[in-house]
Amino acid sequence: MSTGHVLLGLLVERPKHGYELKKEHDHRLPGSRPLAYGQVYATLQRLERDGWAEVAETLQEGGPERTVYAITDEGKAELDGWLERLEPPAPHVASPLFARVVVATLAGGGADGYLLRQRAAHLARMRELTLRKADGTPAQVLAADYALQHLDADLRWIETAIARLADLKEEIDA
Amino acid sequence: MSGQGHARPVGRGRLMTAGAALATLLLGAAVALLELGLLSSREDLWRTRDDAPLIAALALALMAVPAAAFVHQVSRLAQATGERRLAALRLAGATAGQVRLIAARESGRHALAGALLGGAAALAFALVLGVSPWWTLVAPPVVVLGGVLSGLMAGRHVIASPLGVVRRARLRQPRALDLVLLLLGGGMITAGFVLKHWFITSVLVGVGAVVLVFGLTLAATWLIRASARRAGRRAGTAEALLAARLVEADPRAWARTLSVVGLTVFFGAGVTTQQTIVLLRDVSSSFEAGYRLVYLALLIALVTSAGALVVHQAEDLLDHRRSFAALSAAGAPGDALGRVLTRQALIAATPVCAVAAVAGVLVVVLPLVDVFPWTGLPLTLGLAGAMAGIGVLGASLVARLARPILARALHPGALHR
Amino acid sequence: MLEARALRKSFGRTTALEGVSLSIGEGEIVAITGPSGSGKSTLLHCLAGIIRPEAGEVTFGGRRVDSLDDAGRTRLRRESFGIVFQHGELVPELSAMENVALPLLFGGHAGQESLRSAMEALERLGVADCAERLPGELSGGQSQRVAVARALVAGPKVVFADEPTGALDSLAGELVMKELVRTAEAARMALVIVTHDNRVASYANREIVLRDGRVAG
Repeated sequence: MSTGHVLLGLLVERPKHGYELKKEHDHRLPGSRPLAYGQVYATLQRLERDGWAEVAETLQEGGPERTVYAITDEGKAELDGWLERLEPPAPHVASPLFARVVVATLAGGGADGYLLRQRAAHLARMRELTLRKADGTPAQVLAADYALQHLDADLRWIETAIARLADLKEEIDA
Repeated sequence: MSGQGHARPVGRGRLMTAGAALATLLLGAAVALLELGLLSSREDLWRTRDDAPLIAALALALMAVPAAAFVHQVSRLAQATGERRLAALRLAGATAGQVRLIAARESGRHALAGALLGGAAALAFALVLGVSPWWTLVAPPVVVLGGVLSGLMAGRHVIASPLGVVRRARLRQPRALDLVLLLLGGGMITAGFVLKHWFITSVLVGVGAVVLVFGLTLAATWLIRASARRAGRRAGTAEALLAARLVEADPRAWARTLSVVGLTVFFGAGVTTQQTIVLLRDVSSSFEAGYRLVYLALLIALVTSAGALVVHQAEDLLDHRRSFAALSAAGAPGDALGRVLTRQALIAATPVCAVAAVAGVLVVVLPLVDVFPWTGLPLTLGLAGAMAGIGVLGASLVARLARPILARALHPGALHR
Repeated sequence: MLEARALRKSFGRTTALEGVSLSIGEGEIVAITGPSGSGKSTLLHCLAGIIRPEAGEVTFGGRRVDSLDDAGRTRLRRESFGIVFQHGELVPELSAMENVALPLLFGGHAGQESLRSAMEALERLGVADCAERLPGELSGGQSQRVAVARALVAGPKVVFADEPTGALDSLAGELVMKELVRTAEAARMALVIVTHDNRVASYANREIVLRDGRVAG
């Protein structure tokens, strides 16, 4: 995911300064990892370098100096282009879960026990997310849905894996 | 779980065979009785009374209707159970014509088996009665033809829409058209009496009686729905509420099922009234043979109506298998659900039998208002009441007979699709 | 509160349950999951006293359930249990309110009182506006919430749900689950849900995984 594009998106509404952008990012995308201040400023400088954002003004209200950034027309064009582009459907299975199961089977010690424990852990996480949905903001519910459905997909894969594991083991042993 | 699904087509086949056998026996017996009736008419009634053809026509109508109703009822049940499977064939790519042929061949086969059994029994009946057995042989081909036709009809729904397998999508409510038949039938009978020509009169009265019977059956839909609504408003128990709503939702099926019961009560009340008059006025008993004939027909009609009722209850339970099984799982006692069946029969049969009894008395009394022996009125009403009572009692007894079907329907296996 | 010990049940030659033991506490929400054919529904039917296990025992509040006769188990189901099916299984000829009132009426409660309680149950589930309608006129989600109201109306101690959202899309299913769990929690009812949907299972405090008729985890 491109943090730069998210920040551009947040600037569409009105010019904002770095701290504001960080807070809004964490609020709007509650499921994702919180942004570090350093990352916010580094990203804004990159946007400015590429001509997608510019410094609108510099404020000084008692405290430290704050730079307010605004989106440029080029930035708007870039944002539109980004929203148009499709997210490539994951071409490679890069999940550590998958790797672990295959390696466990290769190493000779079946993955049944591991898969059942992993299932319990996944479900525990789903339980937390379901609980959180009960009194979350719409954005939080949306983020929880996203996580829940991915965990659900993992779980369904675990089901299939348990059923297929015997076949896989045979193939490796042969 | 799947075991039950496999068992059902066999049961349906047997039911169809049994239904065809009974219909053949009834039809054969009816023919034999008619023959006997004509014989006795020729001997003593024909010459002395000019309404003898009327008795023959009424007997014919009375006996033809139950047989037809019964075959129809059984084929409807077969249709209900077979619909899903036929729809599956349709979805699998069979053409509408192929589905019709498959259904017709199946029902034809069962009808043939039943017709042979019933034909043999009818033959024996004719021999016991001492009439020529040849006429009874008309019955088996008629029933087999009926079976094939009903099979052709069975695919109608499925052919219209392969996906429309959900039964009772629309509820059959009364139509104003139902009442037109009533008037038409009544008009034909009146015209017959007015014309007073022995041939035209018997044709008009015979056909008019059949039309009237169908009209009455359809008009009964209105009556039954009104009765069910009233019962629903007063319902204080789960059984009463369920029974009332189930009847209210499909009064037409109940009217069709009870047509034979209503008819039996109608003729029964009429005949007993006339016999009272005869007894009280001490007219010679030259009607004896005619009465015996009609009472025998009434008995046959009662047996048939019992069959039709059992088949209807089975059909109903088939439709409600899942919701009843769910109620049972939720703790509804099996006895209470059994009482739902009895109450349904009471709600539907009571008004039909009451009206039929009153109509039966009126049909005889009205033309004879000036000569009616009014001192015999309590006896007449008592007998008519008894006839209505027999009808209602019969209907509720049959509902008890359907309880084993209910017990099977409540099996937890029914909870699985 | 509800316990099962070493349950065994087979249908013909196939064994549906083999040595299943579990215990469900008051107010607990338990999901029974597992692949199809693993014996989930059979276990639910044994626990709810709908069918009897061949071996092992089921106790509810210290009382044996499996050794009760038909009438005894029927009464127990009516008074202490509620059950929700995948397809609701409402009586199509009765209005939503009448459907919900049925368990009370079968329990011998008076008509007016039963209808009033039914209306309250429909209100709790957020489907009071459907009270007068027939099941055929309701959406899948609505009729399933009516079915939940019917299961809850008599104030059961345990509610059993067999794939309660199996016939619904995910948003309608979520609404049904939310209301079911909320109402069950508010009344301290235990909830036993058979499901193959992990998102439904995630509403439970605990999961029991069945595999080939045995408890796997």
